[in-house]
Amino acid sequence: MGIEARTLTKVFETGHRRNRRRIEAVRELTLSVADGERVAYIGPNGAGKSTSIKILTGILHPTSGEATVLGVTPWEDRQRLARRIGTLFGQRSVLWLELTPRQSYRMLAAIYGLDRGAELRRIAQLGELLGASDLFDQPVRSLSLGQRMRCELAACLLHDPEILFLDEPTIGLDLVAKQRFRELLVGLNEQQGTTIFLTSHDVADIEHVAKRAIVINHGEVIYDDEVAAMRRTLLATKVVEVGLIAPLAAPTRPGVTMLEHTDHTMRLVVDTHVTPIRVVLDELLAGPAVVDISVVDPPLEQVIAEIYERPAR
Amino acid sequence: MTRRALVEAVRGAAQRVIAEPGGLGVSLAFYLVIVGVLSGLWRVAVENNGGDLAGYSAVALTWYIITSESATVAIHARLIADIGDDIGSGAIAVELLRPASVLGLRVAAEVGRTLPKLAVLWVAGGLLATTVAGAPPRPLALLLAAPSLVLAVIANLIAQHAVAAAAFWLRDAGSAWFLYLKAVFITGGMIIPLELLPNGLQRFSLFLPFRAMAYAPARLAAGYIEPELLLQQVAWIGVLAVLAVAVFGAGERRLQVVGG
Repeated sequence: MGIEARTLTKVFETGHRRNRRRIEAVRELTLSVADGERVAYIGPNGAGKSTSIKILTGILHPTSGEATVLGVTPWEDRQRLARRIGTLFGQRSVLWLELTPRQSYRMLAAIYGLDRGAELRRIAQLGELLGASDLFDQPVRSLSLGQRMRCELAACLLHDPEILFLDEPTIGLDLVAKQRFRELLVGLNEQQGTTIFLTSHDVADIEHVAKRAIVINHGEVIYDDEVAAMRRTLLATKVVEVGLIAPLAAPTRPGVTMLEHTDHTMRLVVDTHVTPIRVVLDELLAGPAVVDISVVDPPLEQVIAEIYERPAR
Repeated sequence: MTRRALVEAVRGAAQRVIAEPGGLGVSLAFYLVIVGVLSGLWRVAVENNGGDLAGYSAVALTWYIITSESATVAIHARLIADIGDDIGSGAIAVELLRPASVLGLRVAAEVGRTLPKLAVLWVAGGLLATTVAGAPPRPLALLLAAPSLVLAVIANLIAQHAVAAAAFWLRDAGSAWFLYLKAVFITGGMIIPLELLPNGLQRFSLFLPFRAMAYAPARLAAGYIEPELLLQQVAWIGVLAVLAVAVFGAGERRLQVVGG
């Protein structure tokens, strides 16, 4: 088993004597992730994601509970585990801005104990896998954010980790770079069997990268299922935006809620559990009034809010 | 942690300094102004004292100042505060994810960051001293000053990491930084040779590590062939390293228990 946590709890104490407060950041967290899985680990800010990832990577000691990552108790043998896992935090760079990625890799390779031959082979392999060979000799400062993130990914893959912990890896990237990055992660998982443990607030990251989603809130797991099932049950709401050249009557089917309706536009929400989206689209497109139509997922906040309202298991 | 990792940390940091020579230029300008003023003041003081101050001639004091200042100006001025910020913000937690000593890598990187600056400053200072005061009093002593300068920087960097580790408990190492700099200024012999301090303070400074950080190489550069100064520096580095490992280790354990 790649990651196994049982009743992990982390309590922080803040303040001084009289004002001392206990904050339960992680509460009886139990989860397991098999080797080679692609898991999205999501939750609102303050849900306990970062704290639990810090415990699973050995940075933090839990207050109670047990966990093993690749058979190692993280907080007892942090450095041994570090040789077998990769971590990528979207807002923290492991590359030095003044140097080229290749110069940074040289130092990281030395830290991970790769000899010079292995280092050069691995860099060449990663350059090909990530399509980034031409970036490795440019100063990091001159790279775009998307290019830099590919080089950051190469840095955390340098020692060929078995599990990749990714915390908001696509934050700040443009749409094209995000899509490219997601494809790289899926390719990495499929070609090398690397376990992906991904934290993100971007629902597209979850949909395109993960096969399974674990949602935590208030330090507890509140949802754990296949992403496909999540999509069926929680992403079942769609927003339809319609451009009109003539007034059109609003559909009156069950599960359809009008958000905005003028002579030229119409915005409505369709609960696809109640009425399939195709039925609504067919009705709208039956007449000549519609000149433009788009179907979008509801905003992330809405999806997240729906999950977060669920009680703990 | 392997020696190669430390060597690469030194090399990578040195490359970063060389890649951005602008910062080096600013340090050099600052250094030349400081040593120009201080050495000028000391030369006047020596001349007004009959050409000798506690055994130092005007030439010797000029070489003293250019060496003591290069040993301290070469080090990143806000190092303690920056380490404190990294600890306080939790940035240092990410470094725990590497299979290597955080302290070892940080000190190695700072050594790499400091050495190119040290070389540039000392050479420039030597040229200035030769121009305004004269050639080094004893070239052999100057040869001893070179390794002593490197030891001085290593001792200083290790000590700064030990002091900055206070941020694991205090969250802010700003006040520790202020006190530390003043201690190096006075009891380290950075601007005043220790022989010129009042007797009590002079004796007190003998028991402090700060003399290994400025006074030792400066005394050698001033023409005093005292190889025991190098041995004292090595001993202080050992003591400071044990202290830094203990404090930083305790800080890391605290971070792991109470969070960043």
